[in-house]
Amino acid sequence: MAVQAGQQPRHGAAPVQEGPGRPRALLSGALSLGRRFLTLREGSVIVITVATALYFTIKTDRFATTDNFKTLLPYFAPVAILAAGEVFLMINGEIDLSIGAVYLFAPFIFYEINNGGVPLIASLILAMVACMVVGLINGFFTAIIGINSFIATLGMLLSLEGLTLIISHAQPVETPGTDVATVTTFAKIFGAGTYSQLIWALLVVAILQVVLSFTRWGIYTVAVGSNRLGSGEAGIKVRLVIMRNFILCSTCAALVGVLEAVRTSSVQPDPSGANEVLFDGISAAVIGGTLLAGGSGTVVGALIGALFLGILRDGLIIQGVNADYLSFYLGLAIIVAMAANTYVGRVRKGSGHG
Amino acid sequence: MAEPGTRGERVVAPTSAPDDVLRLEHVAKRFGPVVALRDINLHLRKGEVLGLLGDNGAGKSTLMKIICGFQKPDDGSMSLRGEPYEPRSVDQARKLGIDAVYQDLALVDELSVFHNMFLNREPIRRPLPFLDNRTMRRQARTALDDIGVNIPRLNVPVARLSGGQRQAIAVARTVNSEADILLLDEPLAAMGAKEGALILDLIARVKDEGRVSMIMVLHNYVHVLTACDRVNLIQDGRITLDKPTSETSVEELTEIVVDEYRRARAAASAERAVG
Repeated sequence: MAVQAGQQPRHGAAPVQEGPGRPRALLSGALSLGRRFLTLREGSVIVITVATALYFTIKTDRFATTDNFKTLLPYFAPVAILAAGEVFLMINGEIDLSIGAVYLFAPFIFYEINNGGVPLIASLILAMVACMVVGLINGFFTAIIGINSFIATLGMLLSLEGLTLIISHAQPVETPGTDVATVTTFAKIFGAGTYSQLIWALLVVAILQVVLSFTRWGIYTVAVGSNRLGSGEAGIKVRLVIMRNFILCSTCAALVGVLEAVRTSSVQPDPSGANEVLFDGISAAVIGGTLLAGGSGTVVGALIGALFLGILRDGLIIQGVNADYLSFYLGLAIIVAMAANTYVGRVRKGSGHG
Repeated sequence: MAEPGTRGERVVAPTSAPDDVLRLEHVAKRFGPVVALRDINLHLRKGEVLGLLGDNGAGKSTLMKIICGFQKPDDGSMSLRGEPYEPRSVDQARKLGIDAVYQDLALVDELSVFHNMFLNREPIRRPLPFLDNRTMRRQARTALDDIGVNIPRLNVPVARLSGGQRQAIAVARTVNSEADILLLDEPLAAMGAKEGALILDLIARVKDEGRVSMIMVLHNYVHVLTACDRVNLIQDGRITLDKPTSETSVEELTEIVVDEYRRARAAASAERAVG
């Protein structure tokens, strides 16, 4: 109907043109719909992600399978949770480089507390609190002392990774609450169940997106990132906003650390793996459309950014790309995706849609 | 023309009126070695628009920030409606009815018009602490209509609006917040003639309501004479002139300022001669 109505004034008088006119109208309708879609904040990254998934689906018949979907999950669900927390800080105009270290530290402190005779759930809660304190310290040095967050959290990254190596004596341990022979209920909930990580990721992303869009916490985060001085003048407690976002970010990283440790049922003192987790988290947030400069970003975008990274890694592995080439291709793909994202973002800004 | 250095330093003695809402006595403020305010005596009557003139660095913005609770004075006292007034924060000053529109407007570019109108006093829908966007949108529309500001879409980020519209939103925000003492820091800075007229009209309408008293920092003497009831001139951290605008002129204001400049230059060259 809408297509016909659009056609009426131009081609209505010439029925001969109806035939070729209709597909053209459909095409232009689809184009304007597409443009509309791209003007969504997450539009560009969705397009890039779907295109990547399509590419692998066409190239190999092992990509679009249930089994591969299950393989893909651990590549993207943990990253989505990390990125969700990082998005809040990046919108705030800050960055947290210590998420990799917290990811490494959380399961070890969980193990140590549990080993000291504290019950399972209680030691999990205490471990999370310990990681919140890490976030609090990050926030303190950034918001109160005034150290640039890049430097403050870089220091935290190194010292916390070091601390983890010290308390673990660089030896792997078995994750508390897990059993190699059987999967316990605790393990099923906290990462070892097939869809456990996915459910956690969707839950965290949904809650944090709602917090970002519909609560004071969220709009103050945007306000502080966009106009820090002005927010202070309007009476917003800028330091409090920054500090609680640091705590949120560390909490997300700690959750991921525990989920991954439970899934693999062992805790590895591996700082280089932890740093990779850090890069994935920040890349996912940035690919998802969050500005490093602050003021703008979405949690859902970060989820899709994580999905993009997961699909890319998984697809390249399925295609049998040599492990030596994997990082190289991933890096290139991230740059290309970001370039496309920036270009589409510029089109969006120019179009006048939010 | 006055000879440089013949006139002594003019300082206006503390004055007051029975219907003062705000009074400042001997207020001083320094930042390290820099003295921003030496000795400020100022009063604001109910429903009055007081213009604050002064060169860059004379201390106008510092004075505004002290009144609205953003900074604390080192010395002196303030009183609000006869009560001692010592704001510890912007929030507290706002609760007492004093609100400011800063030069940078304190608007958040990425947030919508209505979110900016309610920044830091957003209505919340219980039981979950969600923002009540519908109420905000409706009340923002009413508030903007009341003072005659036409902004067609309240959902757009304020980054998309013109300088005049942004200023109007900032003014509307403070008026709407139930403040009865309004501090405006250069509301006409960097604005075209048409947008400037929009803001002057807006100020006149708010003044006509009679509820709100205003202190306005301005640079343009003509604007002071048209928009204000009374003018205070700040020079070197002191108030050196306090007159109703009906009793002064652009010429007089200009002469005082030029005079100060000459005196400062004479003093500087004398110092050089000694050194």
